[in-house]
Amino acid sequence: MSKKFIQRLGLKDKLLAIMVPLLVLAAWQGAVSQKLCSDLILTPPLTLLNTLVELAQSGDLTLNILASLKRVMIGFLLGGTSGFVLGILMALSPFLNRIFGPLIKALQQVPEFAWMPLIIMFLGIDESAKYFFVAIGAFYPMVLNTYQGVSGVPEKYHELARVFDYKSFRYLFKVIIPSALPSIITGIRLSLGLSWMFVVGAELFGSDSGVGYLMTWGRAVFQIDLVMAGLVLVGVIGFAMNLVLEIAEKRFLLWREPVDGRPA
Amino acid sequence: MPNNKGTLEIRSLSKSFIVDNNSLQILNDINLTVHSGAFVTIVGSSGCGKTTLLRIMLGLENHYTGEALIDGKQIIGPGSDRGIVFQDHRLLPWLTVGENVAFGLDKLKRKEKKLLVDEHLKLVGLNGFESAYPSQLSGGMAQRVAIARALASKPEILLLDEPLGALDALTRMYMQQELERLWLLEKITMIMVTHDIDEAIYLSDKVVIMSSRPGVIKKIIDVPLSRPRNRASSDFTRIKAEILEEFHLGTEYPFAYAI
Repeated sequence: MSKKFIQRLGLKDKLLAIMVPLLVLAAWQGAVSQKLCSDLILTPPLTLLNTLVELAQSGDLTLNILASLKRVMIGFLLGGTSGFVLGILMALSPFLNRIFGPLIKALQQVPEFAWMPLIIMFLGIDESAKYFFVAIGAFYPMVLNTYQGVSGVPEKYHELARVFDYKSFRYLFKVIIPSALPSIITGIRLSLGLSWMFVVGAELFGSDSGVGYLMTWGRAVFQIDLVMAGLVLVGVIGFAMNLVLEIAEKRFLLWREPVDGRPA
Repeated sequence: MPNNKGTLEIRSLSKSFIVDNNSLQILNDINLTVHSGAFVTIVGSSGCGKTTLLRIMLGLENHYTGEALIDGKQIIGPGSDRGIVFQDHRLLPWLTVGENVAFGLDKLKRKEKKLLVDEHLKLVGLNGFESAYPSQLSGGMAQRVAIARALASKPEILLLDEPLGALDALTRMYMQQELERLWLLEKITMIMVTHDIDEAIYLSDKVVIMSSRPGVIKKIIDVPLSRPRNRASSDFTRIKAEILEEFHLGTEYPFAYAI
């Protein structure tokens, strides 16, 4: 949906989209400089920008972002891949679906952060705990969307595969996965989005690097500007990751674009 | 070309489906021989089992009594000796036109594949469209691609399941001419299911009329007209009347004669 939304945005809409945040920033800056609010509690935007520049200059910014991104990638690959594989297996085998389906639905009800005590007990608070935490977040959207996509492959395509004698891996890679791709890509997007949220969460619990660490440290030394800089970073990086995936989605699903309004 | 290939024989074939623990007879004692290189059309109202019969010929339906033979061999599943064009073009939307035509040629080398794809796209008049996606094609063009895909694997028998059913009337008549042209060119057996009687007469050597519950062959009518056929000729109309009679739609208009 947002893909089409971006497409339809004309210049006017783009200006509007930038106007609102700018106004908010101006009001924010105004409120602090008019002493409506202490700058110890609410860092003004200009100071925030300054903090970000300083962080960048000292190299702390890159270091912490890279630390977080590394955890996201490893956790996402672990959770996403296992979700992808299990989603396909469950959709193709009613037997496996009966075994894992109810289990996944039940476990999904457990709030992500409720895993934290258990993970800390088993894995401590080092890197592997963070990978695992991120992996859990990445797993659910991937397994659910892959399952949905693969079980939604229309019967007519299965029939076509039979007629043209497509079997096993050829069948999987040439018919099933391409047909399920829109759903799988949605899964990847949700999965990566959640990974990013959870990595920050994991870093809040005890770490010595990462964007989340930057924020807890800022809080510990009562440097509100660091906390807020962390917030901005989380938002901007999450937005950028989503944007990249949207562009990739558009590229991969070129065929889905209806040219004259007919459904593809 | 060895020209007794592509002969289809159906011998006392019956099929039933189980619906709510009741056995529902779909086809009853079907006997049909389609000679090599013939164009045979199966017509009948919906639910007469004509599509099921075609699916048996294709090898997608297995549980039946009686025999279904191609060149004397029992049909045990889909095979490259038979091609199929479905009513919905059934092109894979994520593949380009060229890749769709090559879908059945997966085991060939890249060069041979390209050659066959080019040849068959040209055959159906769509050269230059190989990199288009199905969503960019009109209904008639998509069906041409589906025909090219079916012909590309060089079948002996082309099965057509209401291939023109979703097209508008004019495109449809144009595509009928195209099918006739391809049939004359490829010299293969074509078996088509349709509910359009004009289409059946225009294209076939034989029209097989089926009736429903259970599906039986009611009559087989020869169409001995020369080609290309004139849809408005008196012979055409006479054969049409003969077929309509079988559906109890015969012209019993005493008043028309009274005037």
